[in-house]
Amino acid sequence: MRFIHTPQDPWRTVHGDDGPMVTITPKPNLLLTWLQWHSVCHHWPAGVPVGVILENDQDVRDVEADLPRLGLIALRFPKWVDGRAYSQAHLLRSRYRFQGEIRALGEVLVDMLPLLQRTGFDAVVLRADQSREAAERALTFFPGFYQGDVQEHRPRFARPANDSSDGATGYLNAGASI
Amino acid sequence: MYTYTDFDKHFVRQRAAQYRDQLDRHLAGRLPDDEFRALRLQNGWYVQRHAPMLRVAVPYGELSATQLRGLARIARDYDRGYAHFTTRQNLQYNWIPLDKSAEVMDQLAAVDMHGIQTSGNCIRNITSDCFAGIAPDESVDPRPYGEIMRQWSTLHPEFAFLPRKFKIAVTGASEDRAAIGWHDIGLHLVKNEAGEIGFKVLVGGGMGRTPVIGTVFREFLPWQQILVFIEAVVRVYNRYGRRDNIYKARIKILVKAEGQRFVDDVNAEFKDILERDVDGTAHIIPQSEFDRVNASFVIPAGVAARPSTGIPMPADLPASYGRWIQRNVHAHKLSGYRAVTLSLKRTGQAPGDITDAQMELAADLADRYSHGELRVSHDQNLVLPWVLESDLPALWEAARSASFATPNIGLLTDMIACPGGDFCALANARSIPLAAEITERYQDLDELWDIGDIDLHISGCINSCGHHHSGHIGILGVDKDGAEWYQLTLGGSDGSAISGGPLAGKVIGPSFAADEAADAIEAVIDTYLSQRQGSERFIDTVKRVGLDPFKAATNAVRRTTARELPADTASASASASASAD
Repeated sequence: MRFIHTPQDPWRTVHGDDGPMVTITPKPNLLLTWLQWHSVCHHWPAGVPVGVILENDQDVRDVEADLPRLGLIALRFPKWVDGRAYSQAHLLRSRYRFQGEIRALGEVLVDMLPLLQRTGFDAVVLRADQSREAAERALTFFPGFYQGDVQEHRPRFARPANDSSDGATGYLNAGASI
Repeated sequence: MYTYTDFDKHFVRQRAAQYRDQLDRHLAGRLPDDEFRALRLQNGWYVQRHAPMLRVAVPYGELSATQLRGLARIARDYDRGYAHFTTRQNLQYNWIPLDKSAEVMDQLAAVDMHGIQTSGNCIRNITSDCFAGIAPDESVDPRPYGEIMRQWSTLHPEFAFLPRKFKIAVTGASEDRAAIGWHDIGLHLVKNEAGEIGFKVLVGGGMGRTPVIGTVFREFLPWQQILVFIEAVVRVYNRYGRRDNIYKARIKILVKAEGQRFVDDVNAEFKDILERDVDGTAHIIPQSEFDRVNASFVIPAGVAARPSTGIPMPADLPASYGRWIQRNVHAHKLSGYRAVTLSLKRTGQAPGDITDAQMELAADLADRYSHGELRVSHDQNLVLPWVLESDLPALWEAARSASFATPNIGLLTDMIACPGGDFCALANARSIPLAAEITERYQDLDELWDIGDIDLHISGCINSCGHHHSGHIGILGVDKDGAEWYQLTLGGSDGSAISGGPLAGKVIGPSFAADEAADAIEAVIDTYLSQRQGSERFIDTVKRVGLDPFKAATNAVRRTTARELPADTASASASASASAD
């Protein structure tokens, strides 16, 4: 998981004085809204990296045809307890094989990290007050899970019994308790 | 019952460790109340009137004596010496201080228990028939399927923040003892003509403000595909379920609003998972995994069908033993065995409540008479599933001295009730004093038996934890100007054979004041007794004569609310009061 520090991030959003609809000149690493992207996608030059921000009510099916041209998809959490973007990320990875970066924006809290990682996000912009150290710790509690996810497609029951992708047995044998 | 593997044990311990990390941050002021809230809820921690409430998961209602002793210890050491069994087969504590909560999670993990997903907008504990695996009318034991679904739904990363809570119930018997029609997903295991096992799948049932019975989505879904099908249903719900209004956020509203379009979306999603997703068939359950889990649900060692000698009826035992045999002892799939209900409905204790000492006694009874195994019933009682017929007299004596032998299962005083306003911060009215008043009034066993089979369900608010919609008599606590009122419904059904297909009861008249409610119940019962034909059950009389006689009788006992009635109320036209509240 990459933690994005915005000032050093190459990706830039485009804002006009009157809202998001401005004239956009193609240049590398613009992060556009879905509407902005649609206004320029027909003449966007191949090879110029571009990303889009999707709201969480956007149907990712509509994005499928554009995916090969996108380097980054940012999914927004307007509220952290609104879990729609997890399904969007899952579909982008598992169904549409999106290989670029999937980034979480908005109200991103440290306790969401295990869910984000398992549904296919590989970068986050934490809310400003969040602790990176707590976020990294949140990823360490579980050595394995029951159901499959974007990282490990197979559920536990479909993996070999001695699969080392979870260290539970070794951990217990080492005498650890909590 | 299911035996935890090292992985399972480690998993619940790590869940407790994760919770401790969150609690520590909260107590240190780094995780504010409203953000900690959603996290603690997914571990079963509510904040109630007096203290946090902890809801502990009892998967598909199955419990070992060792676990029950662990629960007793927590009640003694961290609570005030008692706990409460719920309609969803879980256990609740009411008085544990929040700063002890992480410690309690460790204590639970030590007996392979947890509060994972017992609250919050996620897939909740999966419930089942309390006679699963022992019922003579069962064609498929639902427990191994329940366990596989429990594992799949546990910490599912995509479905932890759904629009609203999501409840699944599963049964494999012809009699529905799990109220599957009232669940977000209701599953009925069946065998087809070829003898293959599959699920009849219902989607979109629920109680609350808008009672809805689930719609049949599949008549026969091969069992191997169930996880994929649930994934498809929940994904479509996660995407389209309403999030703007908490009262319209359950899947039932989406199913109602979208109709066939929702069904089509689910079917398309199901197909897409299997045909398009990376490793899309990975969650098809292989026979080997079923066999691994099912190995935990074999008949306990030493138990085997034997020639039935009939139920012993010693002449020196009193008539109450015979009554207990009739009401609290149930048929078993194994000849020579019976299931026995330990009634948690008695005077002096709220329905479903149990003290730490009673938990220890129940655990002892389970060890002595039921191979260390118990079940929690949807009706908030305990069940001993493996009792030898020849042990019944001794068990009765022991159960009686532990106050578990009230012979009232299925009768009026075997009522379902939520904790209500005495404990719950959501409640509009108290449930326990009304339950106590009704219990007090119907202490006479002859009278109780004469009234016969009846489901009385009490909810302290529209969240319907006490399942008032599905009661033959339903009582709903409502708040008007800060006072407690009670709305009465008649003719509801949970879907059992006695009750008929699942159905929400109909409101009779404006709400009753707190001091009228018990009188109104008595008037309903008296009306039934005067109207019934032969041995007709309460629910059948209601269906035959309709609501009018009951409206007239309950209006006649009104005092506080008498003046609110329209002038022609005695004639009680059928449409008079359906929207009274």
